[in-house]
Amino acid sequence: MHDALQVHRGKEASTNSMLTIGKVAERAQVSADSIRFYEREGLISPARKTDSGYRLYTEEAIRRLGFIKHAQQCGFSLVEIRELLDLRNDDESCCDDVYRVAIEKKLQLETKIKALNSMSRALSGLIEICSRDKKSLEECPILGALEAGLERREPAHPKLASKQRGIS
Amino acid sequence: MNILIEVFSAPGCSKCAEGREALKAVAEELAKDRVTWRDLNVLDEMDYAVELGVMAPPSIAIDGELVFPALPTPDRFRDELIRRLERGASNSSGRR
Repeated sequence: MHDALQVHRGKEASTNSMLTIGKVAERAQVSADSIRFYEREGLISPARKTDSGYRLYTEEAIRRLGFIKHAQQCGFSLVEIRELLDLRNDDESCCDDVYRVAIEKKLQLETKIKALNSMSRALSGLIEICSRDKKSLEECPILGALEAGLERREPAHPKLASKQRGIS
Repeated sequence: MNILIEVFSAPGCSKCAEGREALKAVAEELAKDRVTWRDLNVLDEMDYAVELGVMAPPSIAIDGELVFPALPTPDRFRDELIRRLERGASNSSGRR
């Protein structure tokens, strides 16, 4: 009887130090919906649930959410963040593994930046050719240049072109 | 005709270093005087790496073309070098 009382008090104490989803959301500065979404994506899970089904978290959840937020700011996708979190919890992993993931991400971002710069330059070229003298849309040099570009590209991709034309 | 081999590695990567040395030995054994070997730090040469399409070190470019996005086995690397050396030989004899 005495033992059962102690167990009950211990459980009560640990539950009292736990945080509800609202508290965690407030302290980690994310929405409760985001936390539920991260849970569905396997990035976070409550330490336990109450008998009535409410999620309860420890302080670790706030650190984990901070990690997720910072990783997202560095361009990591949720799948990649899960990989990083797994590495963090894997005893056999070392900082070399995280270093490799970070370098690969950097290469990926630089590749995207290069592609975006190239798109931006192409748009600058189109903007420059526009005389803005309120011509009709049929005479629009931007639309004309885009169409001319498409026509020029078609012979370079004969398979794609025939697919578009419905030729098998 | 010289073959330019460029190996993109991450600094401090032991996997890169081990594989690189094995491949370098293959290149030296095959045609030391016809191969130019460059070890590149992917972080220092980020723009060039991106230009070639390197997505993860270690990667190998040959004559400015990304040929091995991951380190090949020494045998695959040897075959590729032999192919290129033979092509270079036939091109230069054709020019004469």
